Amino acid sequence: MKVALDGLTIRFRGGVEAVQDVSLDVASGEFVAIVGPSGCGKSTVLNAIAGLLDPAVAVAEGRIALGGAEVARVARRPDLGYVFQRDALLPWETIEGNVEVGLVIRGMPKAARAARVAELLALAGLSEFAHYYPHQVSGGMRQRASLVRSLAYDPSLILMDEPFGALDAQNRMILQGELMRIWERTDTTILFVTHDLAEAITLAQRVVLFSKGPGRILAVYDIALPHPRDPFELRGTPEFARLETMIWTRLRDEFRTDRTATR
Amino acid sequence: MRVAVSRVAVIAALLLLWEAATGGFGASFQIANPILVARPSSAFAEIGAYAGSGLLGKDLTTTLVAAFAGLAIGMVSGVLLGVLLGYARPVADAIEPVLVALNSLPRIALAPVLLLAFGLGIESKIFLAFITVFFVIFFNTYLGVRSVDPELVKAITVMGGGRSHLARFVVLPSVFSWIFAALRTSVSFALSGAVVGEFVGSTGGLGYRMVIAAGLLDTNRVYAILLLLMVVAVTLVEIAKRVESRLLRWRPSSALLQ
Repeated sequence: MKVALDGLTIRFRGGVEAVQDVSLDVASGEFVAIVGPSGCGKSTVLNAIAGLLDPAVAVAEGRIALGGAEVARVARRPDLGYVFQRDALLPWETIEGNVEVGLVIRGMPKAARAARVAELLALAGLSEFAHYYPHQVSGGMRQRASLVRSLAYDPSLILMDEPFGALDAQNRMILQGELMRIWERTDTTILFVTHDLAEAITLAQRVVLFSKGPGRILAVYDIALPHPRDPFELRGTPEFARLETMIWTRLRDEFRTDRTATR
Repeated sequence: MRVAVSRVAVIAALLLLWEAATGGFGASFQIANPILVARPSSAFAEIGAYAGSGLLGKDLTTTLVAAFAGLAIGMVSGVLLGVLLGYARPVADAIEPVLVALNSLPRIALAPVLLLAFGLGIESKIFLAFITVFFVIFFNTYLGVRSVDPELVKAITVMGGGRSHLARFVVLPSVFSWIFAALRTSVSFALSGAVVGEFVGSTGGLGYRMVIAAGLLDTNRVYAILLLLMVVAVTLVEIAKRVESRLLRWRPSSALLQ
C-alpha cells in the first residue's frame, strides 16, 4: 500500500511540536526506515498514520493518504499491522491465542484460523510454544509472536516502532534476518522506526533521517544493497560501511546537539 | 512432602503444649484455667457432641448460606458498579469521597444498625457479609477498569478491533484478574461478616451458638466452634486460592508461587 504524507505537522496540546512539515512518499511494497534521535517524533508519525493519535493529546495538520486515498486523522485503518517496541501481547492469551486475535477480529472461521495460526507459528519457529503464555517465553520469542500476529491477516502496510529495541544484539540480528526473509516474499509495505542506523541500513531500501525534536526530514538515502539480504553478511561488506559512515556523518550532529541540549 | 510433615509436626506440638498448659496429661501446674481456656481434647470431644446433637449441621448451614449469599450479592454488585464507574469518570470523581468514607468505616460496626433494619433473621447477616465484600470487589473492579494497559488497547484497535473486541480481549480479562485476586480476601470477609452478624443478634448459626455458649461459661463449646470456624475458613480460602491460580495461570506471579 502506498503511503503519502504531505506537510504533516503534529502538535501536542500545550504547544510543543512533535514533528514539523513532514512530507514523504512510500511506494507500495517498499521498505522505508525512519532514523532519528529519541524524542524526534518518529513514533508519533507512525501513530498518526495508524490513526492512533488521541485528539485530546495531539493535533495533526497536513495530509495523510493511504493507498492513494486521504484518510481521516483519527479513524480505524482496516488494512494495517503495527509492531510495538514492547511486544504488547495479551498476557492472558497463549502465544497461539495472541497470533489468532487479528483473525478473530476479522471473523475468520475457526478451522481456517487454526490452519493460518499453525502456518504463522511455524514461520516464527514457535510451533512448540503455541500453548505457552507470553511470560513463559523469552523476549525474542515474544517479539516474534508479535511480528507474526501483525502478519496474520496479510496487511498491506506494517508499521514497526523500534520492534527489536528491547532485544539483545544476537536476537536482534536473527529477527532482522527473519523480517527480511518475510518481507522479500511478500509485497507488504513496511515503515520501520529505529534509532539504530545499522539496523535501518540493513533492512531498508530507503533511510529517512529525522532531526531532533521537533522532527523534520533532514535527508533521504537510497540503500542500493542487493536482495535477498543477510544481516550477518551485509555488515562485513565495504558498501555497508560506506553507507553507514556517510549517513552517520549527517546524523551525528543531531545526536551531539541533542546531548548538549539535555545536559 | 517434607514441608507437609514439618507442618503437621508444628500443629501437633502446639496442640500438645496447649493441652499441657491447661492442665492436661495430669500436669501439676496450670498456666490457664480450663474453665476459661478449654483444653484441646475437650474442645474436640465437644465438636463430636455438638455434631451428634444435630445442631452443628444446622448452624453451619445457616452461617455458610449467609456468607455465600452475601459474597454472591457483593461480587455481582461490586463488579457492576466498578465497571460502571470505571467508565464514567466524572461520576466516579463526584462520588469518590462518599465511597472512601464508607470504605474507611469499619463494616463490622454496621452490625447493630443492620440488625435494627433487617431484624434477627438471616437477612441482616447476608447484608453484613455483602457490605464487607462489596467494597473489596468494587475497588478492585474499578482499579481493573482504570488500569487497563493502553498499549494493549492500541494493539487491538490497530488490528481493527471495535468496542466489543476491546471488551473481550483486553478489558474483561484485565478486570477479572483484579477480581480474582480479591477472591481470597472476599471469602474470608464474607465469613466474618456472617459470624459477627450472628454475634450481635440472631436465632441460629455458628456465631449465635458461640455467644450463647460463652454466656453459659461453656468454654469447651466456644473453643469447639472456634476450631470449626478455623477449619471452614482455611478450607474456603484454599478453594479460593485454587480457583484463583487456575484462572490466573497466565500470570507470572501465580506460576512462581505454586
